[in-house]
Amino acid sequence: MSEVREPKFDSIVAWVLRIGAFGCFFIMLTGLITGLFVRGHISVDIELAGVLLMLATPVVRVIVACFLFFQEKDWKYGWISLGVLVILMLGSVFGIGEH
Amino acid sequence: MVTVLLVILGFFAGLLGALTGIGGGVLLTPILALHFGIPIRQAIGASLVAVITTSAASSSVHLQRHTTDIRLGMTLELATAFGAAVTAYLVGYFNRSALEGLFAAFLLYSAITILTKRGKVKPLEDESAMIVDETVIPPYEPKRYPLGLAASLVAGALSGLLGIGGGPIKVPVMYLFMNVPLMVATATSNFMIGVTAAASAIVYYRRGDILAEYAAPLAVGVFLGSLLGARLAPRINTKVVVYLLVGVMFYLAGRLIVHLFQGSL
Repeated sequence: MSEVREPKFDSIVAWVLRIGAFGCFFIMLTGLITGLFVRGHISVDIELAGVLLMLATPVVRVIVACFLFFQEKDWKYGWISLGVLVILMLGSVFGIGEH
Repeated sequence: MVTVLLVILGFFAGLLGALTGIGGGVLLTPILALHFGIPIRQAIGASLVAVITTSAASSSVHLQRHTTDIRLGMTLELATAFGAAVTAYLVGYFNRSALEGLFAAFLLYSAITILTKRGKVKPLEDESAMIVDETVIPPYEPKRYPLGLAASLVAGALSGLLGIGGGPIKVPVMYLFMNVPLMVATATSNFMIGVTAAASAIVYYRRGDILAEYAAPLAVGVFLGSLLGARLAPRINTKVVVYLLVGVMFYLAGRLIVHLFQGSL
């Protein structure tokens, strides 16, 4: 199974990660530069948007891979991806309100 | 200005990480805690964001070269994400001293491992070391999934505790025990780091331990540093850089231990 290489599958996942990494980098950079010139909370808000999108990128990557696996009727790995997604989602439920 | 210093710190950590192939993540948290006075849980949170950023950027390069085994990665991510989410949750109940002690131990362990194992197994080649246009990967079938999943659970758990990627555990296990070619093991480990760190980071964020004013400048610096590092790596004697990294690790471990004893007086 592992020797089967699907160039298209790899490329789609690669683009998700690339857009996430470079997009968030520029959003965070914009926040930092704004902070140098503008007073107030706006720069931190932009930085936070970048940080949150960065946290979302791996989640989107799992969703996209999950979708592609199901589309290929590769059920086993589709369900595995869904399992990873569930674990990621549980983290956001259990992280609340602890100190 | 703290923001500028954080960008510079991230830059040098990213540079060191890309030059040596040993993630810079392990340096970030102790420096943030010791020299910036950032509470250790927030330091780990900031480090996790930087780790996700570099993993996404470098993993997209590996994917374009078709050296990543997405199916293997996804399977092992079940374990890394679970381990990471659990320890990230438990960290909420740890006090500062326990975390600092863990960090000192992990730094010493990493530094000694690098010194003693250098040359024997080289699982940590970064992508710049294997820029081959037409990569030929021999056919293989991953073996010993239970062992791989167990090691991934440990790697994930450490990631949630320390804000690191955990590559130094996953790469040797895939390569030595699971019958995966080194190049694929490295790329797949890198691929898994993003999801592993995200599993922890989501928990840290919900707890309020990820502050954009620390995480964003750090991630920007690490991103730039690792881009430059990947370009410089083929032209630099990385041996010197590895010793520099080991030196920094020993220094930070020492400072943490001193800090621990001062704290308890």
